Amino acid sequence: MLTLADLTSRTGLDVLSHLEREAAIPVIEGLQAQGDLIVVPFADLTEVMIVPDAYWREVPGSGIDVLRGGAGGNPHTLVADPGACRWTTGVRDNTGLALGVLAAIGVAYLVHPEHGGSGIAPGTYVIRRQRERGRLPSRLSDTAIMSRFIAD
Amino acid sequence: MKGPGWTTRPAASFQFPAGLRDEWLSTGLSTEPADRTTAEASVTELYRLIGEPCPSFQWVPSPAAAIEITRASPDRFPLIRLRSADTSRRCRGGRLVAAALATLHSDLRSSLDRRIERRPSGSDWLRPRTADALVFTPEDALLSGIGLEDVLEAAIYRSLRGTLRDAIAIPLRSALAAALGDADNRDNKATGFCWWGQHDAYWVARYDIWQRSGLARYRPSDQRELNLWAALARSAGWWWPGRGLCVLSERPVTLHAEPTPGSHHGVLRLHRADGPALVFGDGFGICVVHGTPVPEWVMSRPTVELIRRELNVEVRRTAIERLGWDAYIRQAGLSLVASRPDPGNPGAPLSLYDDLADGRILVVTNGTPEPDGRRRRYGINVPASFDDPAEAAAWTYGLTGGHYGLLARRT
Repeated sequence: MLTLADLTSRTGLDVLSHLEREAAIPVIEGLQAQGDLIVVPFADLTEVMIVPDAYWREVPGSGIDVLRGGAGGNPHTLVADPGACRWTTGVRDNTGLALGVLAAIGVAYLVHPEHGGSGIAPGTYVIRRQRERGRLPSRLSDTAIMSRFIAD
Repeated sequence: MKGPGWTTRPAASFQFPAGLRDEWLSTGLSTEPADRTTAEASVTELYRLIGEPCPSFQWVPSPAAAIEITRASPDRFPLIRLRSADTSRRCRGGRLVAAALATLHSDLRSSLDRRIERRPSGSDWLRPRTADALVFTPEDALLSGIGLEDVLEAAIYRSLRGTLRDAIAIPLRSALAAALGDADNRDNKATGFCWWGQHDAYWVARYDIWQRSGLARYRPSDQRELNLWAALARSAGWWWPGRGLCVLSERPVTLHAEPTPGSHHGVLRLHRADGPALVFGDGFGICVVHGTPVPEWVMSRPTVELIRRELNVEVRRTAIERLGWDAYIRQAGLSLVASRPDPGNPGAPLSLYDDLADGRILVVTNGTPEPDGRRRRYGINVPASFDDPAEAAAWTYGLTGGHYGLLARRT
């Protein structure tokens, strides 16, 4: 099992200094959340499909940012041993929330500067982001819900 | 690689010119007084190139002060719309100095672009390889086989543009337009047509660094013209070219910025928690918190009434966080609908509040502590139809309440 210290030294990613660096990161095969992202076993989300011509990238040792930081947000980076994990953004999701799908034959990790590390057991998972209800100008019907993404 | 402007060189042995980028970045962020002699000489030469006589110059402490002058003289600073009919060469020598300058500038960039073999740089479309280069450091990108052209585009042009144009100049222009009561600023109707001086460094640097790294050579006349824009970027703030008169602004006197999270290429954004992030000599300034431009009341007196009236979600969030979520819930008199434990997040409740003015708000607690050991609480707007906090939390991730209940861990 890896610690946050192992992960940061392997990948060169940085996390905030107050996070617990020496404890082993739990590796989970079910549902887990990292701030504004959630990792969902692929089999549990029947409404998410991988498109037929999806392009799969091998996740390099230095990682792939599955969500880059925008206004107010930090990146969530997917890392794994070379050859152990592939990632595709070629997905269709009725909610529009899926960022992509990862398929791992070894343990993969999500790393975030403020949330630390999340261990993902071998398997296939959807990574979704979080939304909230937007505000509507009063002249519009309040039954129409505009949603927006959350960035932390 | 082809064309007379090219020097071929193996990418792997290329040293990424980080020093040149940083030099242009500090030019763009400079808070030094303007070098008026250099700026005036460069503007004079640009006027000469479009067949205009040397204008007189008026220096002001801020872009806001400049706009007061240009709006008072519509004959010298007519509104222009940058359509082809307005910018055609037939206008040269006529009244539309700004349009003629825009044409001069556009011709220069087309000519320089041909020498560095790229599609026009104004495009917001990324080539796939430039997109790849954005997520690597320049060194890693080159090692992984991404071409030099794409690495330079990501690490220099996109980086400087992200900081100087997107994070500074555009929020500044929006604030100027909003202060004049015309937030739309269509065709620059409120702010008038101007150049950005130091903030034009983002595009000047692109051509300059290609040339200074020995990767491109330009025609001597193009090089001389580029040098004029470079000199203006190094010497002044924003400037408004008019007939017979050019109004130039000093640079800001204070600028507070922080790294934009997630940038591999040193992009910065404005940020100051205790005052305006960008301030000019006459006191004109703009408030920006972690890259989000906010009205002044958010900094000085965030109140429930003002927060409720605000339509922009980012501004609301920033204002509520300055007030504190607990204080906001108390002062706004939000009533608790239901509360229950957050699965996978021991000791943290999911609390659903009813805000009569604004649907429902789910108040959650971060799974990870802040540097001071506390865990941050914050609100997420959810549809008013939810009565169960777990259902509401599930909705934010597109799940059902039962599914969300299986959450094993939250960090």
